[in-house]
Amino acid sequence: MITGFPKKWRVPALGVLTVVIWLGPTRHVMAAETGQQIFQGSCVACHTIGGGRLVGPDLAGVHDRRTQAWLEKFVKSSQSMVKSGDPDAIAVFEKFSKIVMPDSSALSDAQIKAVLGHIKGAGTVGASSESEKPSVSEEPVVAASKEDILLGQLLFQGKTRFENAGPTCISCHNVTNDAVIGGGVLAKELTTVFSKMGGTGVRAILGAAPFPVMETAYKGKPLTEKEIIALVAFLQDADEQHAYHQPRDYGMGLLISGFIGAGILFAFYSVLWLRRRKDSVNQKIYDRQVKST
Amino acid sequence: MTSLNSFLFIAFPYIAFSVLVIGATYRYKSSGYKVSSLSSQFLEGKKVFWGIVPFHFGIILLFIGHLVVFLFPEAVLRWNSDPVRLVLHEGIGFTFGISVLLGLTILIVRRWFNPRLKMVTNRMDVVIEVVLLSQIILGCWIALGYRWGSSWFASDLSPYLWSLVKLSPNIEAVSALPDVIKLHIVGAFLILFLIPFTRLVHFLVAPFHYIFRPYQVVMWYWDKKQIREPSTPWQITRPRNN
Repeated sequence: MITGFPKKWRVPALGVLTVVIWLGPTRHVMAAETGQQIFQGSCVACHTIGGGRLVGPDLAGVHDRRTQAWLEKFVKSSQSMVKSGDPDAIAVFEKFSKIVMPDSSALSDAQIKAVLGHIKGAGTVGASSESEKPSVSEEPVVAASKEDILLGQLLFQGKTRFENAGPTCISCHNVTNDAVIGGGVLAKELTTVFSKMGGTGVRAILGAAPFPVMETAYKGKPLTEKEIIALVAFLQDADEQHAYHQPRDYGMGLLISGFIGAGILFAFYSVLWLRRRKDSVNQKIYDRQVKST
Repeated sequence: MTSLNSFLFIAFPYIAFSVLVIGATYRYKSSGYKVSSLSSQFLEGKKVFWGIVPFHFGIILLFIGHLVVFLFPEAVLRWNSDPVRLVLHEGIGFTFGISVLLGLTILIVRRWFNPRLKMVTNRMDVVIEVVLLSQIILGCWIALGYRWGSSWFASDLSPYLWSLVKLSPNIEAVSALPDVIKLHIVGAFLILFLIPFTRLVHFLVAPFHYIFRPYQVVMWYWDKKQIREPSTPWQITRPRNN
């Protein structure tokens, strides 16, 4: 057990600690981005300014509907507001299919103000209310081609890899479809995502994921246009057909196979170290020692 | 929440790693003979077999598994891109998790009920066993409840760990993960932090010394004359282990 640090080491050790700790958060001091750049990078997957509703509301004229302070708070952490019982936040959350808007923990207060400034400036021309423009659910449904559906299936579970080597969708998502294996349960179930978000919404998310976990996973490995079309086609088909498919949950199977595997492993240990189990390594020495006394 | 995340996923990893390096070096330099697991396996090889072997075999495999995903995320994603290989990979990982869980449980029960061990158990032994047990339970929970971990580890946690290595931490993805996974990550750094203060320090001996060391010469204090007298010949074969 360490009882004390030698005096001569204390200062250098403290110095090293301080340097590494404070070198750490350099990522947070991001280069000044304009509001437009931030909007393009973080918001455009779900929102437009005057272009109609996507996954989230059209933000044109949002400053007429809500106060600046409310908007800043909502952008920072929408779920905190929903959980704290803010009626406007709950209304927006309910209206947009309870799709969680990710917290903007990576954005500073100044950056949030900048992006809201951009929205205010860009939205003054042709301001519209949340429901004026057509929503994704009203867009015409186009039948996906069989080739696209098949390619989407293969891409979704990884049998065909994404061109830019991004992770397969089943790493985190599950879809009830007999053609694919049970997917991950880290992120949203996608069986009915198409009817919830519509093709435009799904396409927007696949093009520039607004969720931090997905954004990091596909950083530098974006999906190509062809892959996005195929995945949207597959998700549309899976949504339409899901009543005819069996849900697959690998949880119980994994649990059982884990215990069976552990049984096999124990048998393996037993054989591999048979001698150690029968006779401990020092047995002969121990016996002779007893004999000599 | 943001500052808590910054502490847990930026400051704490650096603190833990610094404490590990400085603490382990200091402990080795100041009291090298205490860099030990204080194992009593030599005395009771048979009794502890079902605790020690499943625990160590499993934890070494799991440690290497996590290390490989951290070091070679692209290769792991390539391997996992085939659904059968993915399920196989996860199944094998989970199997070793169960092996560790069972082994560790046996060892904890043994420590709890064996009066000789109770005498030599110190506070840090209990702390490290509780941390290890929680970590294994969390790991198994994640493997089952947040499938498929090896793939999202490669896509999200590997970049995070590399950002720490490059001194430019990016905790956006990690901050958005479920609390169970966050706890598992913090648990891993906590283990690093605790290594110099516990008998877990013995694992550092493996890369530095143990794997390439020569055989240990064990000498017993016995009467050679009496053992080798002609009237008591070697019973089967001449022993060679002393």
